[in-house]
Amino acid sequence: MFEDLGVKDAFASITGQALLKAMLVVVIASLITVAVQKVLPRVAEKLGGKPRLYLLASVPLLRLLIIFATIVIVVPILVEPSFENMVAIFGALALALGFAFKDYANSLIAGIVTLYEMPYRPGDWIEVDGQYGEVRAIGTRAAEIVTPDDTVVIIPHNKLWNSLIANGNDGTDNLMCVADFHLEANHDVGRVRELLRDVAFTSPRTKTWQPVLVIVFNKPWGMHYRLKAYPFDPKEQFQFISELTARGSAELARQGVKFVSVPVSVG
Amino acid sequence: MKDNTNDNKAVSCLPGGLMPAEQWTLPQTSVRRSLKDAIRHALKQLQAGVSQVEEPFESMDELPELSAAQQRRLAPEPDYAHQAEAIACSLKQARSDGSLSREVVCLVAPPFSGMQQALTRFSEPEQPDSIQSSDETWRVIAPPDTLCFDDQEASEWWDRQDLSRPWVIPELADFWLRSLSGLALIRELFRRIANGDSGVGIVGCSSWCWRYWGHYLENAQMSPWTPAPMDADRLGAWFTYLASGNGKSMIVARMTGDGLYVLPLPEADDAENSKSRKKRKYSTFLRDLAATSRGNPGVALAIWQRSLRARPDDDAKLEETDDKTDKQSRAADCWVVPLGRLSLPSMPQSKESVTGFVLHGLLLHNGLDMASLEAVTGVSTYELSLVLSRLKRAELVTCDPLDQRWQVTPIGYPTVRRHLQSWGFPLDQF
Repeated sequence: MFEDLGVKDAFASITGQALLKAMLVVVIASLITVAVQKVLPRVAEKLGGKPRLYLLASVPLLRLLIIFATIVIVVPILVEPSFENMVAIFGALALALGFAFKDYANSLIAGIVTLYEMPYRPGDWIEVDGQYGEVRAIGTRAAEIVTPDDTVVIIPHNKLWNSLIANGNDGTDNLMCVADFHLEANHDVGRVRELLRDVAFTSPRTKTWQPVLVIVFNKPWGMHYRLKAYPFDPKEQFQFISELTARGSAELARQGVKFVSVPVSVG
Repeated sequence: MKDNTNDNKAVSCLPGGLMPAEQWTLPQTSVRRSLKDAIRHALKQLQAGVSQVEEPFESMDELPELSAAQQRRLAPEPDYAHQAEAIACSLKQARSDGSLSREVVCLVAPPFSGMQQALTRFSEPEQPDSIQSSDETWRVIAPPDTLCFDDQEASEWWDRQDLSRPWVIPELADFWLRSLSGLALIRELFRRIANGDSGVGIVGCSSWCWRYWGHYLENAQMSPWTPAPMDADRLGAWFTYLASGNGKSMIVARMTGDGLYVLPLPEADDAENSKSRKKRKYSTFLRDLAATSRGNPGVALAIWQRSLRARPDDDAKLEETDDKTDKQSRAADCWVVPLGRLSLPSMPQSKESVTGFVLHGLLLHNGLDMASLEAVTGVSTYELSLVLSRLKRAELVTCDPLDQRWQVTPIGYPTVRRHLQSWGFPLDQF
């Protein structure tokens, strides 16, 4: 079958020297890729803020450029880049991948789609299939996220085709946090909304130029308040929510507003 | 004749006068300078994690820094009474030409602009006619000892203040704390101003505090005014004015590296020999300084003081002229270290968030004592003292020995602002 595709002819001209040359290019490209993947995230950690996000997002892009450049350099070294040869090689490659490594190829293609559609980038806080964490790296086949409990979760890129991906900050450093308060009914709702807004505005972690919102729902068991605000750094989100909850609870208790303290069955 | 003298003084000590805050623009600099600054800032952040460098300032120049006497002569602190006059003149001018019609005017300025010190002078007994408001003297409203009030108490406190005659608040940031019970006073003041029942007044406010309250009170439209940004020409005129003392001396400042002239400015040089003037080449130092200080006079003056150098023999010459009568004119020569070679304070490596809370808290409140700083940042006293001592060694903050208030230093302000921006903290508009 490979003979029919002309693959044998395409590779007939490969010499030992050309093979060595191609391997050298691949090794150098791999070393550069590893260096980029190791060094840039470290530099980004030192910079913090927006520069950190930009630098992290550039890692997969640089890797794609390196891979592309390597293919462009290696293919002419090994075979004569004529139309027939290209059709033969890529045809054979597609056939092999299609049969033997279907899922792997699926993830690889999704990985390439990820690089230009950018549903998530390094530094983003995403949730996929119930797993929430910060994207640490985007590999060829899968992305790595680190959960708040410091567990690394590997997410194959092919999840992109059939899963819902929630992205909290979408390449920016604006990540909305929500602190929930479940209160007994019969209190001054306006006063509590004002008070919770002040709780957010007096937190040193709040980005005051972003909206601070207090949403309230009337539930059968009482009132459900949602205090929404943005921390100055997405990495501060858990500290931020904890602080809002603690300070809000203390102030509500001081004002005599009681929390719902019995288990609630929803629905 | 007297009016002209006063006008000239006003122009010199508040170059550009006052302007609506929305018209304020950042002084321009070259692309090369901006890139250089950005790269240097990034490198400093990277180095912070790699090497533990010595934190105190170290001069990179061989010439000695100015002695206290030389500094008093060549780059003294401004006279805030004159600045108060200049502000009053600007406000009168704005009222007469119709661009300012509000009874209560808000003057917003970045830290170290001298606005607070100038507004404090409004109530001094020997104030000139230009400051007085329709034959009535201004009354300075001082903040209460404690800032924790509920809405009722805040309303009662303002009721006790006499707002029937012209009043001035030199610094609004002294009237609040970023805590749940520390917001009531300013909230009540803005409510009264919006209702129009607060009489004639001036509210001075640090730009950081103003930005915070602008976000907090989304619908408040106060149309604040601000001093014009100090560009290269204004800085040159201002430094010349400060150094001139009685107005008869001329400062000559040249770059240490290439001898290019910084001062006197080309226009001020007109009286001199035109041939020698044509030969003079001028440095871009003042333009770079204006951009580095973001047009902030206090910051620019602090950097200017640090960049000035004098030879040891010049010191004796200056002392000699100091002893002579004021009637004698004098020419003082000094040298200026290029900004690139000047070691300005850098941020020590530490936990970003805690350092950021402390520095941001200090800027929001225009300085705080330790107890208040603990209240607004939520950082324990123990950790605060560690952070503050590091920042003090790095020359980024200082503690006033009289009232034990911690403040950001003018020389450290550009570094602090830039780092707070990198870390994602809310900034002021200047």
